[in-house]
Amino acid sequence: MRRKLIHHLLRLVTALCAVCACSVLAIIVWAIWVRGWPAISWQFFTEQIRLVGAAGGIFYNLIGTGILLLTALAVSAPLATGIALMHGVYWQHSRHRDKLTVVLYVLNGVPSILFGIFGMIVFVQWLGWGKSWLSGGMLLGFMILPTVTVALMERIASLPRQYVEAAAALGLTQSQTVRSVILPQSVSGLITGSLLGLARAAGETAPIMFTATIFAGATIPGGIKENPVLSLPYHIFILAQDSFDPSVGSKVWGTALSLLAVVFILNLIALPARLKIHEEARPG
Amino acid sequence: MLRRRWSATKVASYVFTLVALAAAVGMVALFVIQSLPVWRHEGSGFVTGTEWFYRDGKFGAAPMIYGTVAVAAIALLLAAPLGMGAAVFISEFLPRQFRLLVKGSIELLAGIPSVVYGLLGILLLRDWVYEALEAYEPLSGDTLLTAGILLAVMILPTVVTLADDALRGVPSTQRLASRALGLNAGECVLFTVLPQALPGMLAAILLATGRALGETIAVFLIVGRQDNQWPESLLSLKPLIEAGQTLTTKLGGSETNIAYGEPLHWGAMVGLGLLLLALAVVVTILGVWLQRISSRHAT
Amino acid sequence: MKKRLLIIFASTVLLGGLSLRADVLKINGSTTVNLPVAEASEILRAEKKMEIQVDTQGGSSGGISMLGEGLVQIGMISKHVSEADRAKFLACKYKEIQIGADAVAMIVSKDVWDGGVKSLTKEQLAGIYEGKIKNWKDVGGPNRRIAFFNKEPGRGTWEVFVHWIYGDPKKAPAVSFPEVGGNEETRNKVASTKGALSQLSSSWADNQKVFALSLKVEGKDIAPATENIATGKYPMSRPLFILTNGEPAGDAKTMVDFMLSDRGQELVKKHGYLALAQLKPATPEKK
Repeated sequence: MRRKLIHHLLRLVTALCAVCACSVLAIIVWAIWVRGWPAISWQFFTEQIRLVGAAGGIFYNLIGTGILLLTALAVSAPLATGIALMHGVYWQHSRHRDKLTVVLYVLNGVPSILFGIFGMIVFVQWLGWGKSWLSGGMLLGFMILPTVTVALMERIASLPRQYVEAAAALGLTQSQTVRSVILPQSVSGLITGSLLGLARAAGETAPIMFTATIFAGATIPGGIKENPVLSLPYHIFILAQDSFDPSVGSKVWGTALSLLAVVFILNLIALPARLKIHEEARPG
Repeated sequence: MLRRRWSATKVASYVFTLVALAAAVGMVALFVIQSLPVWRHEGSGFVTGTEWFYRDGKFGAAPMIYGTVAVAAIALLLAAPLGMGAAVFISEFLPRQFRLLVKGSIELLAGIPSVVYGLLGILLLRDWVYEALEAYEPLSGDTLLTAGILLAVMILPTVVTLADDALRGVPSTQRLASRALGLNAGECVLFTVLPQALPGMLAAILLATGRALGETIAVFLIVGRQDNQWPESLLSLKPLIEAGQTLTTKLGGSETNIAYGEPLHWGAMVGLGLLLLALAVVVTILGVWLQRISSRHAT
Repeated sequence: MKKRLLIIFASTVLLGGLSLRADVLKINGSTTVNLPVAEASEILRAEKKMEIQVDTQGGSSGGISMLGEGLVQIGMISKHVSEADRAKFLACKYKEIQIGADAVAMIVSKDVWDGGVKSLTKEQLAGIYEGKIKNWKDVGGPNRRIAFFNKEPGRGTWEVFVHWIYGDPKKAPAVSFPEVGGNEETRNKVASTKGALSQLSSSWADNQKVFALSLKVEGKDIAPATENIATGKYPMSRPLFILTNGEPAGDAKTMVDFMLSDRGQELVKKHGYLALAQLKPATPEKK
């Protein structure tokens, strides 16, 4: 009797936890939706900021975030591929392999503001770039490197051994195998990892607020030095502290909703592939 | 297989890996070197000093370390039980059809950017906390507690996802054996699955802690940013309903811009960054180590 | 797929770069002055197709330092450039061009205003700032803890405040209070907290959610009203400047001329500040 009680109690308590957790998160999304939806319109996405945030839209903020993300992708994809290949192929039997993984995981845990400070020293001051889209993109790329790399590493690890063995049997060198078998087959891992990484990068404010973004006036950068961009998260951050008009209210939420949409869409596209890898990898 | 000594692909891989490693090492080295002035000036007093007045050249980080730890602790206290309970339910009791849907939703929610949480915090949460705490006469709604609550919501999806991974890592054979021996589903979870999933669950908590320690933007808007809030007694609850400052909020504030160019002040700011880095690295390494242990048991 | 993305990206940047003029006018500084200047930038962008970038990093101090380092062509400040600043950036010939005036008001939340506190003296403010006066009842108000929100260091508003109370920002005592940054955050937090007090640009006090106190000087209450600010009678009036390095030229001159023109001055008034025409020379009164 008591044993049955334990079972039912446990189920009840954990069910409550799950319901609680899911509803808290659902309420958050709903709160943002309710406040942000009124601001959403075609004009919102195609106009630029007017009246210092009180009117107009977020066109150049979208462009700016897009530029930062593309740069981050261009930086992290090659580096991630290199590292994943080291881990999965060239250093497969080396004792350095584990250290590499540890460094990646530690890098993933580094607070994002520290990337911002690092960028401030190296890009803004030492290289004298001032605020530049390139610094922001590079920092973001560096920040999401672990995410992209690990997804690719997992994909490479899950490749059937027969492919590699068949390639060896045909007389391919290690690198030829990499180029013609491993890389083509693991592109899905790179894409998944990149999407997840970009989803994270899109929402980050701290790495770019000292190094790459301003509040108003930037359109499309015309060079590297002193060419900042606008961005979605920084726009929200500034308006939360410095908004100039009550009418800004729904604009801020509209921007938040747009940012949320960008992040969700990126995550959503990557989700099926990710869940598949996760569930497959577990013997459970 | 035929291994040529060097090929373009191999060289590229080596180079890219080296670049990434160099950047990582360079970052740490940079923080150490640029913070040297403050270590020379204050020595270990930088970590233990309780006064930060940059105009007077006093740099003590203890109140900020306290703030960082307090906020993370509150977040964990709230999110860990809730998250682990939810994970247990999703992993063990939820009917299979719903699993992917629920897990997918939670993973999506883990991606909500921190600035959006900050917005919710400054416009909603701080008023709620202020009203709720009326009886205790807080100064305002900007408190360490507010920040802790907001962080708890932020790390909740992370805890759930990672704890669920830990639970799924326990082989199904263990569950079958346990049921075969006559335990009901609840007892199976409590006495068979959970003990084995423990390292993984702890890892989940540690990694979520890492995220809580490093969060800047959301905390910045609602923690009050009041310096030198060193509590008289470390275990008392009163400071939690007062405003505070964390390592991250100090770094994300206006002093960072002011400090550049003044070696001592800038050294102090970078020193804060170094302390933050150390905290985050230690917590992350512990978490990763525990994850290793749990995955070893899983096979 | 990646190659195609790269080409698209590169050509966008190139095309974007080709269609831009080589000179971008960069402006940085005080969030107070930002209001009319940012709107002026929008007008100039639309009418004269100028490329103008406006930022508010570091407030007034940021404006001074970035102009000094040559990172921007125009700085926006709500205080004077100090001797220390001029000494720090010797290569820069700071030229202050006044575009209007504003005042720093001490704002309180509704419960304090309704509770009877309508003005404070310099000594009372110093006492509050130094933590000696902790409760509103000690200054004629309700029995409630004083929730003082201090402006971030580096903000022009803060410097005007300590300048009046202590004469020199350097002489201000080292204190620790909860900090607020921009105008919106300040107003928002004071409005939603009982017993709250903070420094804010006077045009931001709407007298519905936050209320501007008068300053009691020699027994007389001086409210931060337009009259008092224009004559300088209100102690914490401050000029609003845009800064250039030497005589403004090119795009910077266009912006300066615009701000000094009728349309620019209309913008200054629109955002609640005093236009140059409204400023009168101070009547000879004892300060």
